[in-house]
This record gives sequence, structure tokens and C-alpha cells, in this order.
Amino acid sequence: MARRSTSRQRTSTVLAAIAALLFTLQAQVPAQAPLNLYGRGATGANGVVAAAKPEASRAGIDILRMGGNAVDAAVATGFALGVLEPNASGIGGGGFMVIKLAGMKEAVVIDFRPTAPAAATADMYTLDERGRAVGNASVEGGLASAVPGEVKGLLYALDQYGSKKLSRAQVIQPAIDWAERGVPVTVNLAQIIKDNFGKLTRFENGLAIYAKDGFPPEVGDTIVNKDLANTLRAIQARGADAIYAGDIAGRIVAENRKRGGILTLDDLAGYQVKVRKPVTGSYRGYTLVTAPPPSGGTHVLQLLNILEHAGVAALGDRSAAAAHLWAEACKLVFADRTAYSADPDFVHVPYTGLASKDYAKTLAALIKPDAVMKSPAAGDPSRYESGSTTHFSVMDKDGNMVAVTKTINMFFASGVVVPGTGIIMGDDMDDFELKPGSANSIQPGKRMLSSMSPTLVLDPQGRPFMALGSPGATRIIPTLAQVISNVIDRGMPIQAAISAPRLYQGRTGSLSMEGRYSINAYNGLVALGHTVTVAPDYDATFGGVHAVLFDHAAKTLHGGADPRRDGQAAGF
Amino acid sequence: MKIRTLIATAALLALAGAAEAQTWALKAPIAAKPAFLTTVGQSADIEMVKVLMGRSAVPFTANAQAKAGDLAASGAKTLVVVLGGSTKGLGAAGISADAEIERARALLAEAKKLGMTVIGVHVGGEARRGQLSDRFIQAAVPACQYVVVVADGDKDGFITKLCGAAIPMDKVERISGAVEPLQKAFK
Repeated sequence: MARRSTSRQRTSTVLAAIAALLFTLQAQVPAQAPLNLYGRGATGANGVVAAAKPEASRAGIDILRMGGNAVDAAVATGFALGVLEPNASGIGGGGFMVIKLAGMKEAVVIDFRPTAPAAATADMYTLDERGRAVGNASVEGGLASAVPGEVKGLLYALDQYGSKKLSRAQVIQPAIDWAERGVPVTVNLAQIIKDNFGKLTRFENGLAIYAKDGFPPEVGDTIVNKDLANTLRAIQARGADAIYAGDIAGRIVAENRKRGGILTLDDLAGYQVKVRKPVTGSYRGYTLVTAPPPSGGTHVLQLLNILEHAGVAALGDRSAAAAHLWAEACKLVFADRTAYSADPDFVHVPYTGLASKDYAKTLAALIKPDAVMKSPAAGDPSRYESGSTTHFSVMDKDGNMVAVTKTINMFFASGVVVPGTGIIMGDDMDDFELKPGSANSIQPGKRMLSSMSPTLVLDPQGRPFMALGSPGATRIIPTLAQVISNVIDRGMPIQAAISAPRLYQGRTGSLSMEGRYSINAYNGLVALGHTVTVAPDYDATFGGVHAVLFDHAAKTLHGGADPRRDGQAAGF
Repeated sequence: MKIRTLIATAALLALAGAAEAQTWALKAPIAAKPAFLTTVGQSADIEMVKVLMGRSAVPFTANAQAKAGDLAASGAKTLVVVLGGSTKGLGAAGISADAEIERARALLAEAKKLGMTVIGVHVGGEARRGQLSDRFIQAAVPACQYVVVVADGDKDGFITKLCGAAIPMDKVERISGAVEPLQKAFK
């Protein structure tokens, strides 16, 4: 009897072991589908980082634990994202960073947007009948790349605003670790690689990194990038000079020119970070501090100003009336953006007027509750004038706030990978107006217009309240305004505000909204005369907002991350 | 049963499962070389199918936006259509979904007129399904003589149902797994 019992126990043990083995094998496959709504947010009493990859958020948190400040954490997160989300940002691109440390009276904006090469001209692309560059030359290949700013930008922030307690090497190390360990291929990343496989194939160097046995990697695979690890080591050792001069700079220029580009060593050596004064404004008593042109923050303010005048807070959440107001306000904002926004170092941008409450009042008056504007013209803000991206946010208990949006532009950018470096060259040139005569036309040394809008929000008492931003091209502007409105007007927790359904309306064209809007709202909008396109319930084209919010009453920081992509916040 | 025997049996069963050769629905080659490759839905999946065709040693010409008139001039004996739609791809091609379906119908009708074999390939998985993609799949599959699908794209049996008993369909687990059925399809 005892013997039989022992035998049964052994059999059970073996079966349990086999079951456990099978379970383990299953568990090794990351199931981080874009629609996984769980575990995106995080809270912390000391610090929170919200980024587009959980591993990048944790890299930032590790730096905070080591005694670094919010800027140290942001720089570590930024370098890590260049490895972990290689399709969205990296050494070949650039971005904007808004910093407000507890002791600073005014925030500062670090503009590390790429610049047009010295040999660039307004008519450098041959355009087809639809106004696009023939051969997709502004998007793919050497001619699509501008002079990258990422490394100089991140290291400038570290040098000027970092805690000085941690070395450059310490802050970059997490990125190196992930490049060597391998980036987990999620559902989201697998699809992005599939969608851009043609580009990677055409400029074959990328296949050695981003393909497995000649095909896109599958969910559960990992992407190891030893070349990028070595490049990051060079930056650890030599700082920005490792990229902007010497061997790696030579390789960048050689590969760019081999692929039809016009970059020179002088372009790289001459790249300069610009420190800009932020644009500030308010929304219902909260102060917004955001990045000025060529970034898009001014238009986030402009949109919220119009909505404040029009009283969006009093309209029902996701109602037809509210959606109509959002759509009409977006049309007016995008009309102005097209007409006025560009690199302020080359063109006069009336951004104080664009962000003014009085100007917004005149625009709000143009919106009729029962009629749809067809194609609004730009307004005249000068009368009120007085004077494919990733986003991550960091806040700590001391009230230090950092918001960074950075990009290589399209997913996998120009498709050109510099041999031996792991660097994907950006395709930011496509963000210029490709024909001469526009405020945003190409000029040597000019920075292309961007919708990137890293933004900080202070509460009515002037205390740090929220840091946020998003990728998503022009959708960034209404997406951020909607999240801010969800928090301030609707009182939503930050994760709910991020997850809530979004809409988008350009200057013209159809009103696009995520599927979770009600049928009543849809019918109401159609009855008003809108052409409505219904997107999936959670659609990645509506952005990827990563935000941190400070609940002063509870002395707790709340991070929110976007389920539309791979975002996940971390805190401690 | 002794533990060692049990473990050995489990291991053998696992090995046997892994080693079991896949049985294909298509029993004999049906297609002649060379092939003409196009999309029905303008998805970027055509790039992966180009690699598959290369690995299958099938000479081919590719044109994502081919018109019916292009087939005869190509001299191809088989038309391979990459199934699944992409809003971005349609936008880049400057073509509406309706116009794309019209283009596909004309192309498939011309292929039939020319006596070409038509093979459908769906490698985009679950992401290449949904309202937009399903319209293209529905329009093209009935005109195919053989269909190869990466299994994730047919979790709901939609393509299986479209193929029915008349059109042989083979499923593979990974994209790279489509090389073998494509090789076997060509004479």
C-alpha cells in the first residue's frame, strides 16, 4: 500500500514537473500585446518614470535609486529607449526636452532637433504630381537624413542639469546592457519590423540586426545589437565627440553618401544644441510649460485655450457636442500651424500670439455648435503678438520634472544603418515642406517643424503637477490636449486619462475617432455634417502618451503609460 | 511505471511530435515558373513574400500595383497574390480600398484568361486581418488555386472557410515555414 502510494506520488511529481516545464516554456514567450491594459501605470513616493518600454522605465528608476536626479534618470531612459525601441528614436535622430528642477524659477527647453545639412536646398527633392519626393527620397535613403542631435542633446542635459553624482558611464550603462542582452520582441515591435521589412531589406545593413534567418523576428525572439553596444561604449568614454568627430562620424558620413545623402563631417562637427525659452500659458488655472517652435507645444496651448473659451468642460464626456468642439478647434489650430510654425531661428513665428487667450477667443467665436467648417483659413495671430517618435516623463519627490520627446521620424527612419555602429539614420528631412516658398521650406542649418510637444503642467498653486508628451506626428497636439483635459476637466486618474478614447481632426478631411466612442456620439457627429472614420478601439496612430502626475495630498507620484504601444511606467 | 520510463516516454513523444513531418494539403505541384508577384491590399507583407519566393528558388517579377495588362507582358505563368490590406500602403500608393479591389478583380480575371495559376499567400498574421484586410482576402481567395497562410492569420478559420474543400490551403506556424509549401507548389 505504502509502495503504491509512493509510486503514485512519484508519478504525480513527474507529471507536475512536465506541467511546470510546459508552463515555464509558455511563460517565456512575452505576451505583451498592444491591447494589454494591465500593469501600465505605476506609483511611487520617491520617483516615477513613464516610458514606451518597461525596461527603459526601470533603467530610469535604477538611476534614481542610485542617487541620480530626474535629469540623470531621463538621460538613462533616453539612451535605453534608443536600444529598446530602435524603430522610434536613437542616435540618428533628435528631439526636445523640457526640464524644471525644483530650484529653477523657469523651465528650460533643450532643442536637439536634427538640422538640415549645409548642402541642403529648398528644391533638393524632385517632386511627383502629389507633391511627394520621387523615389520616397525624403523618407528613405541618405537624402532623408539630417544632422542628428540626440547624443549632444542628452549629454548636454546631463552635463548642465544632472546631479553630478553619477558618471556619464553609469547613466549610459543600462542601454549597453540591453543592447548586449537583447531587446525582447513584443507583438508591437514584431509588427513594426514586418511593416518596415522592405526598407530594411533595401538598405541591407539593418537585416543583420533586425532579421532572423532572413525574416522578421517573431514575438518572443530577442534582438541583440553588439555594434550599438560598442558605439554606446565609445560615448561612455569620449562623450559626444565619439559620434560627431572621428571614426564613427566618418562611418556615418560614408554610409550616408553611399546611400545618396549629402552629410559631411563639418555638418556633424558643427551640430549645436539650442537652449530655448519655453512657451507658457494656462488652462483653467493650471500653468502649462511646453516646447516652443519648431516644436508643437504652442499649438497644444492654442487648442486648450480655444476649448477653454468654448467651455468644453461643461459638455458631456465623449458626447457629440464635445467631439464636435474638439474637431472644429483642431481644424483652426492646424490651419495656423501650417501657415506660421517653423524654425524660429529662420522665420518669425508669432508664438506668443498663437498661445494667447485673446487670440483663442476670436478663434473660439468661429466655431458654431450646429455647423461644420469645411476648410478654415489661418487666422492672424500677429495682432496678439507681444513679445514614427517616443516620449518619456520623469518626476521625483522633490518636484523635479523632465519631459522628453525624441524621434528618428518614421518607424526605422531612413532604413540606413551605419555599418559597424548599429546606428539607424533618421529621416527627419521629410518634416520640412518639400517645396520652396513655405515658412517650413528647407534651408541649410534649419530645423524642420515638429509636432513633438513635451509639456509640464503646474497646479493652480504653482506646484509641479504633471509631465507628459506623446509620439504620433500631428496627432500629438490634440492627443496631449485631450489627456490634459481628461485630467483637469474630467478628474480622471492619469492612467484612465491616457487610456480614454481619442479623436483626431486635421485642418481638413474626416474626423477620426477610436471605436470606443458611443454610437450616439457617432450619430450626432454625422448629423452635424462630420465625415467620421472609426478606428480600432485602441489605435497606435493616436499616439503613445507617457506621463507622471504628482498627487500632493497623498505625496505620491502616479505614472501612466499608453496601452496603444508598449508603454509601462515604473516607480519606487 | 518507473519514473525513468515515464520521462523517457514523455521525451520520445515530444521528439516524435517535433519531428513529425507536416502533411500538406497540396499533394502535387500545380504552378509553373516564372511567377508574377503582387499584393491585394497594398500591405508591406509583399517584402517578406519576395524573400520567400527567393528562398523557394522561384524566379519572379514583383509589382505591388500591377494592372491586368502587365501580366501578359511579363511572360509569367503563375500569379502570386499577397493577401491583406494596409491603410498606410493604400495611402502611399494613392489608391482607395474600392479601387484596389477593382484592380485585384481585373488582375485575377486576366490571370484566369491567360491560364495562369493563382496562389494566395497570407503572412501578416492576426494584424493583417480585420475589416479592411478581410475585404481583400474575400475578393482574392476564391480566385486562387492554392493558399498558404501563417496560422495566426486564420485563428478564426476565416480563410479556411473561404477556401472550403475546393481550394487546398496549407498553414505554417512561422513566416519562414512558408518556403517549403511554396517550393512544393511549383513544378
